[in-house]
Amino acid sequence: MKEANDLGAVVRALADPTRRAMFERIADAGEIAVADLTHGSGVTQGAVSQHLKTLKQAGLVAERPEGRKVFYRVAPGGLAPLADWIDHYDVFWRERFGKLRALLKEIDT
Amino acid sequence: MSNAAIEQDTTHDIVVDEVFPHAPEAIWTALTSGDLIGRWLMPPTGFEPVEGNRFTFKTTPAGPWDGTIHCEVLEVRPQKRFAYAWKGGHEANVGYGAKLDTIVTWLLSKVDGGTRVRLVHSGFVLPLNETAFSNMGAGWKKVVPRLGEIASEI
Repeated sequence: MKEANDLGAVVRALADPTRRAMFERIADAGEIAVADLTHGSGVTQGAVSQHLKTLKQAGLVAERPEGRKVFYRVAPGGLAPLADWIDHYDVFWRERFGKLRALLKEIDT
Repeated sequence: MSNAAIEQDTTHDIVVDEVFPHAPEAIWTALTSGDLIGRWLMPPTGFEPVEGNRFTFKTTPAGPWDGTIHCEVLEVRPQKRFAYAWKGGHEANVGYGAKLDTIVTWLLSKVDGGTRVRLVHSGFVLPLNETAFSNMGAGWKKVVPRLGEIASEI
C-alpha cells in the first residue's frame, strides 16, 4: 500500500515525458523485459534503468527477476492517487442520485 | 507543459444513469429550482436556471483552494437537457482539490413508468493515455466496494 505522501512521487515520476512514455509502454505490454524496453526507445539501457528505478520508487511499476532478465509490469493501485478526484465525484453523484430520489418521493406523490 | 504532453492527456467522464418513477416535469423542477437543489445536491448561491447565469457551491477546501465550485449555466432545454460548467480546485493540489474544468450535463427522457435521468460529468483530465488507466484497473474501480455501502444506505 502506498501512503498519501507518495502522491508527489507519482506526479514527479509521470511529469517526465520519457518516463511517462515508458510507463505507458509497460502498461501496453503487460510485462516487458528491460532489454525490450530499451530497444527502440532511443535511450541507453542505463537511462532506462534509472527511469525504472524512479517509477518503482513511486510505486508505479513492479519487477520480477527471471534468470538473468528482469521483467517490469504496472503495479496495481499505483495510479490510484491520481484518480482520487474522479473517485470523489463518482461517489458524490451516486450519493446525490439517492438524495434526489428521496426528495422526489417526498414532493411528487 | 509541452504540446506533446497535452496531446497525451486524456479526459474521463463520470456517467450515472437511472430511471426514476416520476414525470420529467417533476425531475426538471428538482434539478432547476435553487431551493430544491439545496435539498439534494448543495445549496447554490446566485442560481437562476437561465443560460449565462453564474452561481457557486461551497465545498470542503483543500490546500490553496477555498472549496468554491464556480458554475455557469450553459444550456436549458426544459424537461430535456440542463448543463452547467463546474470549475474549481487548484493546480497545486493532487487528488481531491486538484484543478477542475468540467461540465455537468443532465439528460432526461420519458420511459415507461417514469423518466430516465442521465448525468454526465465530463472533462476530468488524466495525465496519461486511456490504455495506461484501463490496464491499470485499480484507479476508480476501487470505488466499487464503497458503492455497495452507499447503495445499502439508500
